Amino acid sequence: MNCLLCEQPKQSSPSWQSLIAIEKSTLICEDCSNQFKRVDIIEVGDNIDSITSIFTYNEAMRNYLHQYKFLQDIALAGVFSNELKQALSKKKAIIVPIPMHPTKKIERTFAQVDELLKAADVSFEDLLIKTNQEVMGEKTREERLSMSRLFQIKPQVEIESTTYILVDDIYTTGTTMQHAALTLKEAGAKTVHAVTLIRAASEQ
Amino acid sequence: MPKSINPAIRDFLDGRIWLRLHTPFTIEDINQQIEAGHIEIIQGIESKLVFMNRKSYTCNRCENTDQSKFTIFNCAKCEASCAYCRNCIKMGRVASCTELIVWKGEQPIYPTSHTLAWEGTLTPRQQQASDDLTRSQEINRSHLIYAVCGSGKTEILFPPIFHLLKQGKRVCIAAPRVDVILELEPRLRVAFPQTEIESLYGGAKPTMKASQLVLATTHQLYRFQHAFDAIFVDEADAFPYKADETLQKAVRKAVKPTKPIHFVTATPSDKLLVEAKSTGGISIINRRYHGHDLPTPAYISLWKYEHHIQKGRLPKKLTDWTNERIKKSEPFLIFFHHIGFMEKAEPLFQLIHPGIHSVHAAHPDRKTYVQALRDKAIPGLLTTTILERGITIQNVQVAVIGAEQRIFDKAALIQIGGRVGRSSAFPTGDFTLFHNGITYAMDEAKSEILKLNKGGGTNPDELPFM
Ligand SMILES: [Zn+2]
Ligand SMILES: [Zn+2]
Ligand SMILES: [Zn+2]
Repeated sequence: MNCLLCEQPKQSSPSWQSLIAIEKSTLICEDCSNQFKRVDIIEVGDNIDSITSIFTYNEAMRNYLHQYKFLQDIALAGVFSNELKQALSKKKAIIVPIPMHPTKKIERTFAQVDELLKAADVSFEDLLIKTNQEVMGEKTREERLSMSRLFQIKPQVEIESTTYILVDDIYTTGTTMQHAALTLKEAGAKTVHAVTLIRAASEQ
Repeated sequence: MPKSINPAIRDFLDGRIWLRLHTPFTIEDINQQIEAGHIEIIQGIESKLVFMNRKSYTCNRCENTDQSKFTIFNCAKCEASCAYCRNCIKMGRVASCTELIVWKGEQPIYPTSHTLAWEGTLTPRQQQASDDLTRSQEINRSHLIYAVCGSGKTEILFPPIFHLLKQGKRVCIAAPRVDVILELEPRLRVAFPQTEIESLYGGAKPTMKASQLVLATTHQLYRFQHAFDAIFVDEADAFPYKADETLQKAVRKAVKPTKPIHFVTATPSDKLLVEAKSTGGISIINRRYHGHDLPTPAYISLWKYEHHIQKGRLPKKLTDWTNERIKKSEPFLIFFHHIGFMEKAEPLFQLIHPGIHSVHAAHPDRKTYVQALRDKAIPGLLTTTILERGITIQNVQVAVIGAEQRIFDKAALIQIGGRVGRSSAFPTGDFTLFHNGITYAMDEAKSEILKLNKGGGTNPDELPFM
């Protein structure tokens, strides 16, 4: 199999890892893999107990997201499976992906966060519904926070007094996460953490 | 609803195969032409059941059938298992539930009034090749122009292209690499000032006109179908075209059935040579335009150069070669086999001169640096094989570091040497292969150059290495 990003044949280097059978993602080549930079940052937010982000938003990541989301290349969902799985295995919790608006999901033909989790073989529960399709970027921080809640709990779903982890692909201003966390907490969640694949620099 | 043709849509769509939902027109305008019967809809991916009830997919845009390049997923749009093609995904994804459209209404009429404003003259040998090519086109025979680097290949094409344009025919010049297209475009615009010309490559916006002369990277031909009366493939032996079967299929799909595909190259593959010889559609030019010899490579050993450069030491032979170029104010190109290795060497070269930079295919400043080298604003560039073709820099001197590396096959070395001595003002120059061992490819390249310089290859029956 060629590297999913640069299409060059991957060099298979038989190493000690393959000898003791540690399974590593083999979807991309080493050169491409080296372009992604870890950030491994943990932040605390309002209404949210912790936000863990794995990678920085550099040019390689911008290209990756472009191909995955804009060009709809679902095959790329598994590129960061190892990292995502590792970040989500630390706590015992119910994992909840940030949902897409249904219209947007049909347009894209898939829900990008769900696919990341599926590819990483992480079980999750779709507990939230996106209620509003407005684009965040056009609003000021005040406007974003004063907007009515972006999410609601799915009908017939019981939120327990336990720990939840929200998952999103990219964390920028934090508004999305705040809204989702607050929605869960108001419904009875005890603790809400978040894990995002990418930490983008916020303008604020 | 009127059955009338929307001429703007016709002019854009003629010969193209396009995503229904991503045209430069409104959905309503496209729908109207579909209802009027001028546009046909084609399913993006076709599947058929093969052995053991497995599905076999074909992409109707790029004609890819390599099953490893299809991804199957649960589609939220068609609410079924859906397949998409990764081979042509960069041009907008084609999935099972994607609709492709082609124009099937009345065809646009292309003008027959053109001028050829090129003022040079062809050498007798160029003229002969040009006439041969026109004759091959008339009998719909594919033709190979086998012409050494710097022999004026493009000018040979002017008369046959002019001839086709005057008959209202539609013509395409395709090349595997965008650099070749970018270099050709201004020359063709000058040569054919009256002709509607369009250049297509990744990131270029299509003009909305019915372009009669299309310059395109071979990738762009995925989006054409039975469009051209002739296609000229320049640098037909270059990557990725020579190794990618779907690009070869794309060229065949883009030309009208029964119409010919012509090839122009300084380093034809044996397969191309054998085919051309068997049909007789071949012209050979072994002399450069200015009549001087092709530069022959000098071999200089550079033992364990990878180790030294990794350790931060630039071998003295390289420092000397570079210093000599700078002393003589000669622009230079130094070719590397690997980007990472080249970037290790870059700071070491910058100790010799801070103006030396490296470029590669994805480098954002590639065009700027190449122009800076032409303008003599910088002394030289380190480069991957991306600059092996289609680039002309007056008085450029060339070295290869690691000429024994596999990427430097016979054709690549001949092309790299072909950068040297192209202008009649500076018809010679330095062409040095720094190596850690001499390979078969190096010797093959050298003896082919020597043979061509001696006059070999003029007669198709005495082709070198046949
Ligand atoms: Zn890669
Ligand atoms: Zn395709
Ligand atoms: Zn579908």
